[in-house]
Amino acid sequence: MNSLSQIWSKRFTHYLTEVQKYMRFVFTGHLAIVLVFVFGAVGYNYSEWLKVVESSFPAEWLVAVIIGAILAFSRPITLLKEPDQVYLLPLETKMDYYFKKALQWTFFSQIGLVAVAYIVGIPLLNEVTELSSGQIWLGLGIVAVLKYLNVQIEFNFRYALRGKWVLIDRLIRIVLSILAIQTALTENLLFTVIYLVIFIVYNLIWKKSVNDQPIPYEHFVKLEQNRMMAFYRFANYFTDVPHLRGAIRRRAWLNFMYSLVPYTKTNTQGYLVFHTFIRTDDHFYLWVRLTAISALIAAFVNLPVVILIVAAALSFATTIQLKYALLSSKEFRMDMLFPVDPSLRTKAVHKLIRTFVFLQAIIVLICSIGDSLFYLPPLLILIVSELTFYLSKNPNNR
Amino acid sequence: MAVLELINVTGGYTRKPVIRDLNFTIGQGELVGLIGLNGAGKSTTIKHIIGTLIPQQGEIKINGITLKEDIDNYRSSFSYIPETPVLYDELTLKEHLELTGMAYGLDEKTMKERASRLLSEFRMEKRLNWFPSHFSKGMRQKVMIMCAFLVNPHLYIIDEPFVGLDPLGIQSLLDQMDEKKREGASVLMSTHILSTAEKHCDRIILLHDGRVRAQGTMNDLRRAFNMPNATLDDLYIAMTKEQDNE
Repeated sequence: MNSLSQIWSKRFTHYLTEVQKYMRFVFTGHLAIVLVFVFGAVGYNYSEWLKVVESSFPAEWLVAVIIGAILAFSRPITLLKEPDQVYLLPLETKMDYYFKKALQWTFFSQIGLVAVAYIVGIPLLNEVTELSSGQIWLGLGIVAVLKYLNVQIEFNFRYALRGKWVLIDRLIRIVLSILAIQTALTENLLFTVIYLVIFIVYNLIWKKSVNDQPIPYEHFVKLEQNRMMAFYRFANYFTDVPHLRGAIRRRAWLNFMYSLVPYTKTNTQGYLVFHTFIRTDDHFYLWVRLTAISALIAAFVNLPVVILIVAAALSFATTIQLKYALLSSKEFRMDMLFPVDPSLRTKAVHKLIRTFVFLQAIIVLICSIGDSLFYLPPLLILIVSELTFYLSKNPNNR
Repeated sequence: MAVLELINVTGGYTRKPVIRDLNFTIGQGELVGLIGLNGAGKSTTIKHIIGTLIPQQGEIKINGITLKEDIDNYRSSFSYIPETPVLYDELTLKEHLELTGMAYGLDEKTMKERASRLLSEFRMEKRLNWFPSHFSKGMRQKVMIMCAFLVNPHLYIIDEPFVGLDPLGIQSLLDQMDEKKREGASVLMSTHILSTAEKHCDRIILLHDGRVRAQGTMNDLRRAFNMPNATLDDLYIAMTKEQDNE
């Protein structure tokens, strides 16, 4: 018991420092400013809307559906690691304690989101319904109870079925949660109690089947890895996460691009670079993001100077980031042994960047049609990209 | 003329050499085993031959040419199968074969013919459009092997090929090596599986502490250690003990 509580608290501290390390970058970055504006705008519109909302508006249903949907996502945070399936095996029967701690953390780390969502809904409920403030706060209490049950059930369900049929369970819980909240908000508390009892029975069924099963380490470890990966990928937008390897997707709809690098010896590196760029999420979405921002600015901002500055800056960023990503070589790759001219790699990367910067320019051109100097931003994009490629140093020549 | 020739090669990762004064040659149609303990310098030797490390002293020639003299010619003369498979996560099996074919200047028809033979030999036809992340260790190894044999070079450099392969895979690899040998290609293979090395290699090079301790046919080695009828395992153990006593 003692050793397991040590394991949990050690993992927990490590996890918190890891998350804090990257969250610092996220909140000091440009996201923080964007969020302030977004929340401000949304909040303002919401309060304006509350002044005109009609009393027939189905506020109870809206709150119930939103909260119910959020509640259904109660993935257990177990902090299990791959080696655990070997090293913790002798402790199998004593793991109850560990999981109890894990589910406590799951509950407290996720309750905030539903609570905030509910509290945001309170002004709407006050405006539209006849509920007393006591009844509204009772609703919040019920939401907390529901969250607790959702966390328990999702864990037990995943445990019992080792990660299968999760969607069906989620659907059942969404419906039950929505009904429980809706009845609570329409003063049908008898029904609320009935739904809660169904919830508890549902939980007991799965809990019972948990007791006679070995721990599904594989599923829980996978779940942990996915969660941390999602977090790292998010953090990677703001800072460089060292151990992150970009996910690969086929993106078959872009297969026609490979016709630019047909089967010849001189296209060896081009063939490789085009596949790498199109299929690696990190590279491809970098281009998508920068192109989208450039296009949106061109479409919706009416200040030519701003459009030009943004277009130039993003063309520079696209070029330099792709050049570094595709040309720096730390690990051994088989193409380092290929009997082809070493300068082919640089040429291939240049061709790729030219192609996709050209597409960026076309997209920006389409978005700036109607402006008097519509041809200027695309032209600037092409020029800045070429200059950047020639004037920046090759990351391989130290 | 020797296909591969190492003359007084000394080298390593830092200034302190890992391999010292290596001298050996591999003739046409020869299968030579490079045998040694962990850390004896097998992989370092191979890295020098393929050109990812440059010798501090001495010369390495393939078909009489050093890497410096004609890099394209040098590189297209051999193919290499690393100990740990090195694949592109973003390329399918089919694309790995295409890329290799392009790099070594095969025309598309030849590439496809050779590829389809190799795919059926290694029972991988159904996985053509798979990405490496869905491959087991053995399958990844098979991708490397197929790419190497697709090129059909003068020299094969194979680092520890049998680890992770299933018995059928090992047999297919040995068959392929035999076939290429008959066609006149040479093979340098490092391995720990001594019984297989003994059975299939024409000559053995015993590497210890970065030096060639002994080399020759099995009979040469038995004579050198004065152990008639010894297996390669016996000789290997004798060599390490002898070294300990020094």
